[in-house]
Amino acid sequence: MRKTTTTTLAAALLAGGAFAATGGSAQADILFWSTQAAPVEETQAMRGQVLSGFEEAVDYQATDDRGPWLTRIEAELQAGSGTIGLLGALHGEFVSLSDDLVDLSDIELGDVTVNATFQQLGMLGTGEQKYLPWMQATYIMAANRQALDYLPEGADINALTYDELIEWARVLAEETGGPKFGFPAGPQGLKHRFFQGYLYPSYTDSAVTEFRSPEAEEAWNKFKELWQYTSPSSTSYGFMQEPLLTEEVWVAWDHTARLADAFNQRPDDFVAFPAPAGPTGRGFMPVIAGVAIPRTAPDTEAAKALAAYMLKPETQVATLRATNFFPVVEVDLPDDMPASVRLSGQAIARMANADDANPSLLPVGLGEYNGKFNQVFVDAFERIVLAGQDVRQVLDEQGETLRSVMQDSGAPCWAPDEPSEGACPVE
Amino acid sequence: MTAVTARETAVTSADIRKRGRLVFVATIIILCAWVLAPIYLLAINALSSPEQVNAFPKSFVPGFETDSIAFFMGFAGVARALFNSVLVAGITMALSIGLGAPAGYALSRFDFRGKDAFRIMVLMTRAFPLPLLALPLAVMFIRTGLDDTALGLALVHTTLALPFAVLITFSLFAGIPVELEEAAWTLGCTRLQAFYKVVLPLVLPGIAASAVFAFVISWNEVFAAAVLTIENRTLTAFLLQNINVSPMHLKFAGGAVLVVPALIFIFAVRKYLFAMWGIANR
Repeated sequence: MRKTTTTTLAAALLAGGAFAATGGSAQADILFWSTQAAPVEETQAMRGQVLSGFEEAVDYQATDDRGPWLTRIEAELQAGSGTIGLLGALHGEFVSLSDDLVDLSDIELGDVTVNATFQQLGMLGTGEQKYLPWMQATYIMAANRQALDYLPEGADINALTYDELIEWARVLAEETGGPKFGFPAGPQGLKHRFFQGYLYPSYTDSAVTEFRSPEAEEAWNKFKELWQYTSPSSTSYGFMQEPLLTEEVWVAWDHTARLADAFNQRPDDFVAFPAPAGPTGRGFMPVIAGVAIPRTAPDTEAAKALAAYMLKPETQVATLRATNFFPVVEVDLPDDMPASVRLSGQAIARMANADDANPSLLPVGLGEYNGKFNQVFVDAFERIVLAGQDVRQVLDEQGETLRSVMQDSGAPCWAPDEPSEGACPVE
Repeated sequence: MTAVTARETAVTSADIRKRGRLVFVATIIILCAWVLAPIYLLAINALSSPEQVNAFPKSFVPGFETDSIAFFMGFAGVARALFNSVLVAGITMALSIGLGAPAGYALSRFDFRGKDAFRIMVLMTRAFPLPLLALPLAVMFIRTGLDDTALGLALVHTTLALPFAVLITFSLFAGIPVELEEAAWTLGCTRLQAFYKVVLPLVLPGIAASAVFAFVISWNEVFAAAVLTIENRTLTAFLLQNINVSPMHLKFAGGAVLVVPALIFIFAVRKYLFAMWGIANR
């Protein structure tokens, strides 16, 4: 008995020694450290179809968990030497790293035309190009075709209002034997983005300033009404494509990349359409991801070449196929794109070009307070909708929390709130 | 009359024994189901096609579609990550037993100043959450060159596993009467020989159990592994952060890929574990 244990241990240690001896040599790849395209299939596609075309070998590592992502890059910055060549993340995730990112304005992009608004965002309020826009997405609605039969009289699916959506959800719940509207309110769900970028802008034309206004109260009461006809399993949903595919849910709101599987697996059974509109317009929130280079990158020139490669039209189309995030440069999409691209692309265009379109930005300038900011909305949702507490009281209390978050972070207002001097106020 | 009563009594006592047996069997079935049902569900879903996984009601027979599993086998770097995981867990096991068992022995056999304080302090390494420790650790590792090595990560995991190794081995050694050792000394053994020939065979199963525990702690740890390794990722760090945002069928397949090696390991060392329970029953 003892002998086998000792032998096993010896073997393990021996292997360890042998491994340590060989481990150090193979480290020429550019490390692409990303928070995007984390689902395994997307990671696989990024490696196999997008980055394989680059002249040098790229090690693409994606994690959905911001903790390790940020801790690792912070450690490298503090230690003053690193292995990460290129960072890929959302706009908001770069903000706290701003001082440690290399200026990218000297990258030669050739005849590529980058979306000017996004490029401006990438300067993070400084005079330098802190990150280059990489890809974009947004949140839309999806429905099973069966649900279309229950649409309220006179409602146009491409120009729904919140009242019509509630009515639709009510009819579905009453006539199909159970609630058929689904909402990603689970731990992995993106519910806070719905409140920040859809519900609030649609009712108050604001996400921060009017947080506790009477209009906000109305918005929450509308959402409570909708919640009555929402599938109770919603509190466990992360990606709405799954309940849509199992038909537990017929109508849902989610991120385009989180609906893509449903569109791709059964393109004929689903429709994509714009988010509903409220009294102050059709609120929606584009998501922008970018690439940046930390000052500790082992080979800045190679990393810059990779960043330029990511913006080439062919790479952007390949990225769209791999991740369902749309290009940020001018590009003609080929005809053979997957169903999800066709369906969501149409819905996004309708939403962005609607007369009452009211786009809002992802929170800007919050840095490390991003999580707390989101938590204000999540807590308000849990207290008002799940716990049934008094709307006025919850908004007053959460409004105080929001005010202190804004003051601590010092972030000025972003669209659709009016620009402010200093920290964005909560009225 | 008396005969009848006697027979009735006999019947009831047999009846009670039968019922007791029923409860016993039912408990065993529930306990087995508790462990086996999730593994079974994992297995059938990992072996089904995406449509079958998303379908309702669920089938209890696997579709024997190996696409999802094959996806992971073809996922760049899985084999290497698996090797790293086993390596890190192996080193963690060796270090935590190599350091923990002597500490446990000392705690059980000797009186020294600060013994009680030591027993509490050894638990303190668990008091700080890893996300808090990971940043300074990573900075230090990058500076010293331990960054991205199996040994560096194993050191962190050993810190996590050590309190359990010390406390488990302490109670093991405390359960062996010191008289046994003393008897060996009177028969001519040195202190070391007495330990080797008398105490060690008795505690070996228990030590194996705490080694398994150290292995599992290392195998399951994600945060430190995700921050401290880049090229030499462990399987858990490699897959876990990506699986929770992947489609259902890949979650099941990835879960199976993570669970199966650990199951094989525990199966391989099961006889030590059974032996330990044998001691406990005696």
